[in-house]
Amino acid sequence: MTARTLGRVIGRLILGLAAFSAVFPMFWTTLNAFKNRVDIVTPTPLFIFEPTLDNFAYVLGRESVFAGLVNSLLISGTSVLIGAILGLPAAYAIARYPNRWSRDIQFFVLSLRFLPPVAIAIPLMVIWLDFGLYDTRLSMIVTYSLLTLATIIWLSVPAFARVPKEVEEAARVDGYGPYAVFFRVALPIALRSLIGAVAFAFVLVWNEFLIALMLTTSDAKTLPIVASELTQLGRDVPWGILNASVVLLSIPPLLFIGVLSGMLNSAFKRKTQ
Amino acid sequence: MKQKNSLPAVFLTPAIGILAVLALVPTAYAIYISFQNRELSRPDGSFVGFANYADLFSDRRFINAIGVSLTWEAVTVGMTLLIAVGLGILLFECVSPRMRNLLALLFLVPVILPRVSAAFVWKFAFHPLYGIATYPYKAITGEPLDLLSNPATALATVALVDVWQWGLFFAVIVLKLLETLPPQPFEAARLDHARTFEIYAFIALPMLKAPLISLAFVKMIESLRAFDLIYVMTRGGPGIATETLDMYAFSQGFIESGRISYASSMAVLMMIATTIAFTFIWKRVQ
Repeated sequence: MTARTLGRVIGRLILGLAAFSAVFPMFWTTLNAFKNRVDIVTPTPLFIFEPTLDNFAYVLGRESVFAGLVNSLLISGTSVLIGAILGLPAAYAIARYPNRWSRDIQFFVLSLRFLPPVAIAIPLMVIWLDFGLYDTRLSMIVTYSLLTLATIIWLSVPAFARVPKEVEEAARVDGYGPYAVFFRVALPIALRSLIGAVAFAFVLVWNEFLIALMLTTSDAKTLPIVASELTQLGRDVPWGILNASVVLLSIPPLLFIGVLSGMLNSAFKRKTQ
Repeated sequence: MKQKNSLPAVFLTPAIGILAVLALVPTAYAIYISFQNRELSRPDGSFVGFANYADLFSDRRFINAIGVSLTWEAVTVGMTLLIAVGLGILLFECVSPRMRNLLALLFLVPVILPRVSAAFVWKFAFHPLYGIATYPYKAITGEPLDLLSNPATALATVALVDVWQWGLFFAVIVLKLLETLPPQPFEAARLDHARTFEIYAFIALPMLKAPLISLAFVKMIESLRAFDLIYVMTRGGPGIATETLDMYAFSQGFIESGRISYASSMAVLMMIATTIAFTFIWKRVQ
């Protein structure tokens, strides 16, 4: 019995360490974002210091960071909207009206995830250059719509499949047409899982790096690109500013953590019943 | 019960049409330019047949990149699953359900961070002079520890960040999977005085074989996207010690020489290799 308790204590210790490792790096980065440079470049890490808002003021006041923020919001927002408007109905059709192509369509959508991003980005770079659309928000939105559409379809098919068939049948008996069943029954019932799918797509394109790096040079640069350029600065590295820009970049995805964890829970709930 | 209606066609056609165009046009175009000798500085090129592909196999950096990519796949997929299963079992075994939910939420933080953020956070933590992760080593030995500039440790250090992001996330999924298992086989094994280790090794994990293989599959696909981490943390260096295939294709097509045709031939080979490998694995998983 004592061996069991000992094992449990060690297990809890390991879990505690893992949880610490999960949150401490970001916590430390946030602390550094409020430090003056002299408090960061110390031989011993400092936990107590005089906080400053200079780093955030500098980052938010910089035109490149502000432009990156606007680009990121516009590009991610629009491509997620396109992905949702086209992807949700498509996912519903796959889930509810299976035909002989359904499996092939699902496999095709999944196989888009196999494509190495660099294999898409190189030809797209040439294509957008030829069209004169290279380094524009429009070309980025179109490119990202490929990612959002595939992701939203892939994650929404199971969400629609979980809507009880009986509810839809009942609505049909009440005289609802197929479109009314989708908009007024299936969509509201599956809404929670669908929001998770859409949030996941948003986080995916907000965090996307390689394609943005290759398809933008100045006008349409997204926030990850701007932040990574700051991290490549030379000798007198403005560490405080770097930490502040990383914190800024990480806030939007972290806001969705509750939604995404809810999606995980509902995805695994069905199997227990 | 299924009457003829227009909904499937109306709902499917635009989405699948757009996906097909957006995916197939670049793919076809990549194959097309891989047979040319186009460069970024010159708009036109001529057809050179398989010359780019032939060159690849005598290119030492390309061979090196294949090795780095395969090592990266093996290390990150293996370590992620090992950590996920270990922590998942501990979560299931050692803590109360309320604590479990809290820990599960915390374990999601690393994977949600943009990879650029994760890469920077750790790059700074591993800074030889000011990094908090290297501080204990420096304090004890008095020597700075520079893991990212050492060809022997650089790849492992970057892989650590990837495993940090995905291992903790997958631990939550393993926990959810364990929670879906029926309790009876566990109780029966306990009555037979099976040890905890034996219960998991011989009962729980075999029951979860199919979902665990799917997880490995997802991680294999995700590990192909190592570019962001490597780009921010090492840029493929020191030397070419952490240069994966996508990093090399990027530097050939973009930074160093703008040889987009050469880079495309590399991308096409990657596309063929991953599509064959994953289609094969996917069919077997099904």
